[in-house]
Amino acid sequence: MKATDAIIQIKDVYKYFGNLCALDDINLDISPGEKVVVIGPSGSGKSTMLRSINRLEEIDKGHIIIDGKDINDRDNDINAIRQELGMVFQSFNLFPHKTVLGNLMMAPMKLKKLSKNEAEKIAMELLHKVGISDKAHVYPKMLSGGQQQRVAIARALAMNPKIMLFDEPTSALDPEMIGEVLDVMVNLAKEGMTMVCVTHEMGFAREVADKVIFMDKGKIIETGTPEHFFSAPEHDRTKLFLSQIL
Amino acid sequence: MADKSHPINIEVGDGAAIPVKKDKGLVNAWSISFFGAIGCIIYLCLVDPDMYWEVLKFLPDGILVTFQVTIASIFLSLIIGLFTGLGRISDNKIINTVASTYVEIVRGIPLLVQLFYIYYALGRFEFLQISELPSAIIAMGICYGAYMGEVFRAGIASIDKGQGEAARSLGFNKTQTMFMVILPQSWKTILPPVGNEFIALLKDSSLVSILAVADILRRGREFASVTFSYFEAYTMVALVYLVITLILSKAVSKMEERLNYYEGY
Repeated sequence: MKATDAIIQIKDVYKYFGNLCALDDINLDISPGEKVVVIGPSGSGKSTMLRSINRLEEIDKGHIIIDGKDINDRDNDINAIRQELGMVFQSFNLFPHKTVLGNLMMAPMKLKKLSKNEAEKIAMELLHKVGISDKAHVYPKMLSGGQQQRVAIARALAMNPKIMLFDEPTSALDPEMIGEVLDVMVNLAKEGMTMVCVTHEMGFAREVADKVIFMDKGKIIETGTPEHFFSAPEHDRTKLFLSQIL
Repeated sequence: MADKSHPINIEVGDGAAIPVKKDKGLVNAWSISFFGAIGCIIYLCLVDPDMYWEVLKFLPDGILVTFQVTIASIFLSLIIGLFTGLGRISDNKIINTVASTYVEIVRGIPLLVQLFYIYYALGRFEFLQISELPSAIIAMGICYGAYMGEVFRAGIASIDKGQGEAARSLGFNKTQTMFMVILPQSWKTILPPVGNEFIALLKDSSLVSILAVADILRRGREFASVTFSYFEAYTMVALVYLVITLILSKAVSKMEERLNYYEGY
């Protein structure tokens, strides 16, 4: 694969928190439609890497190029680039002062200047897709964690992004709600969305990932297919980590 | 910043004691003060109508002026406070320093001195001559703007960082994020202390009588200086202030209760 095909290019990226090297010479290319699952122990830099992709974290060195645009280049409008990147957080981060529908309609109306009817139509389709259209008019607080996270995925999708970033989307959920969120993510993967997921859900990784990345101490230790990881991981640290979570 | 254990209530200023929920029943500090004050006013007017009733009839114009000054000042202070609060949390070093310095300076100078300064001291320069009422409003607005700045800053800081990140990740810029996502949520935290500041400002507005603005206190003083009945005039003035601030503090406490009930949001 040529590097120019990649929709996300991460080149020689370093990020420091004080003296701690959170990202240590990260290089990664992700092609359109590819599903990448990032795993690793806590503090390994996997969330930091994901958050750097839409500049919620500023990198100290290197380049991150999304769809041909360097996100740290001040000439590029980061707000426009972010519209191409949907992000789902561990803690949902729905807007509590807006209804579910309001959460979904806000960005398309304000940023894409869609009319209220257009935005509502798209929002309702998405809510239907994530199986929660009956809750369109309630406030997020009235929903369970699983429902909130599905709304959060729909909210990100409402901007029709090219790439979806998931930052431990099921880690804050009760076990019985993880399935409903993963189902939505699996369906999204099947539709061909480019996805980068930080998660510990190995079943999900096995089912949808084209590529699994294992990170530790700010470095990418090992990259491979899910089969490679589950049958014959190369590095000792990978083996140790997988033995702990499987 | 990610600390979620921050208190929801912000203690700012020195407003009247806001009744809290546990002060239930008829016999509590608020009821005693309120009905006591009303009772006193009625009793005094019945016993000595020539004096007290005359004072009471003389005061309403002043009440109007007091409210004018208070409401205009609170609006001005809210606008100044919003910008000060935003400045205090700004990443821009210059804006941040300007806002912080303004707060330091204003909080370090007594309000009465600020009033004198704007009306008398700056009034020495012809182009800065402003008449009494606007001077009073500007001085009070600038002074309370500094306090409001702290209220806004605390209110904004009370909103979880994830809210801003979610908005930014959707593509909202900083300003849109602040006005569409952060501020609409922080009203809940900002409103009660703003209520307290309103009461504190109403009381402090009596200072403007010194600039010959005909507020409640000024009207009382005018009455006293004509009739020489200082005791009667100032007793009535004190009781009228008390009744007004007690009504307002009750209103603020009701508002706090409703904001707390408002869990669906």
